[in-house]
Amino acid sequence: MKQKLARLGLNGRLALIAFTLGLIALFAGNPYQGSQVTLDAKELGIMVDREVDHVTVDELADWIIKGRSDYRLIDLRPENDFSAYHVPTAENVTVARLTEYPIQRNEKIIVYSEGGIHSAQAWMLLKALKYRGVYILRGGLEEWRDRILFPNIPENPTPDQASLIETMKEVSRYFGGTPQTWGQGKDSPTPALTLPKLEMPSSGSPAVPGKKKKKEGC
Amino acid sequence: MNAPFYKYGLFQDEVSLVVAFVIGIGFGFFLERGGFGNGRKLAAQFYFTDMTVLKVMFTAIVTAMVGLYYLSVFGVVDLALVYVNPTYLLPQVLGGLILGIGFVIGGYCPGTSCVAVSTGRIDGLVYLLGIVAGIFVFGEAYPLVKGFYFATPMGQITLPQLFNLPYGVLVFAVVAMALGAFAAAEWGEKKLGSRIVEN
Repeated sequence: MKQKLARLGLNGRLALIAFTLGLIALFAGNPYQGSQVTLDAKELGIMVDREVDHVTVDELADWIIKGRSDYRLIDLRPENDFSAYHVPTAENVTVARLTEYPIQRNEKIIVYSEGGIHSAQAWMLLKALKYRGVYILRGGLEEWRDRILFPNIPENPTPDQASLIETMKEVSRYFGGTPQTWGQGKDSPTPALTLPKLEMPSSGSPAVPGKKKKKEGC
Repeated sequence: MNAPFYKYGLFQDEVSLVVAFVIGIGFGFFLERGGFGNGRKLAAQFYFTDMTVLKVMFTAIVTAMVGLYYLSVFGVVDLALVYVNPTYLLPQVLGGLILGIGFVIGGYCPGTSCVAVSTGRIDGLVYLLGIVAGIFVFGEAYPLVKGFYFATPMGQITLPQLFNLPYGVLVFAVVAMALGAFAAAEWGEKKLGSRIVEN
């Protein structure tokens, strides 16, 4: 055996090593870390305590208006809710499909659902799968509706509130909503608020891959 | 190769450029030492008289594949962070054919032409100018070919996903394929003999 090895020469030995490694690979299993995950409970706990994992609707509205594209906004609701209305730039992915959805782990991901439960669950799931920047849209679509689309404007604003209110109105109109005046809904029944039509630049499909050209050649 | 480490956040953009530069120089050096700065040697590949290109490329593929596979099995590298070029089947088949034809005619592929230029070969320089002209023409014609450019998309698909095979089986198959190709190449070279005069 030893003599045979000595006679092989360098190429032969390298070939033998490659073959052996290939053979072991047959039984060594899947290199992708599958759906089994481990959690760093302490780290997660601290993150939750400090609320560093939140994005407010105001921040998000600001990003969309500024046309920022360094984040992925994920709508976790069912498809028909999504097609009825969604926050501009959102992509529709339900929690079950999340793990196989093409998102890179180093991307900034913002998840939202109707309220907050699904997004909290998705956050935990993605965190466990070692996605780095996962954020929850605080208050979900409900808050988006109440604060961005149909914000409550006080009837007699104080002078120092005025500029803030102007911004609120502008933001609301930008997203196709209507500002509500304070006290309107108190004695009269709340008028039915119709969600804006989706005329906003929104994309239901993931951003076209291949924007980042990669030159790899021989 | 700096992709997984870069994405782990171990270093930033600037450092990543330095790393890329160092790797690039190393890559070019070994290409040149492997004889890849010589257009005749490269073109001989297509006449089956000198199979160095096949051997070097396949060795690189097998080394990288086996290395990445074991590193990720042992949890050192996260394969999911390694960028996979999205597949557009028809345009990429056509692109491969064009590249191959250019390779036979010119004696270089894009990377090796740069290696040839660095050692002062004039044919390499002409080839490089051709590349730049080609890039310019393509860029200008892009609106016309855009539809075809993104035709038959298959997403970021890998062979294990495509064939629905366990990853390890594919690793073994590629290694076996490479070893078979090496044996066939050596045999062919002996049969046809090296008709190349180094110059």
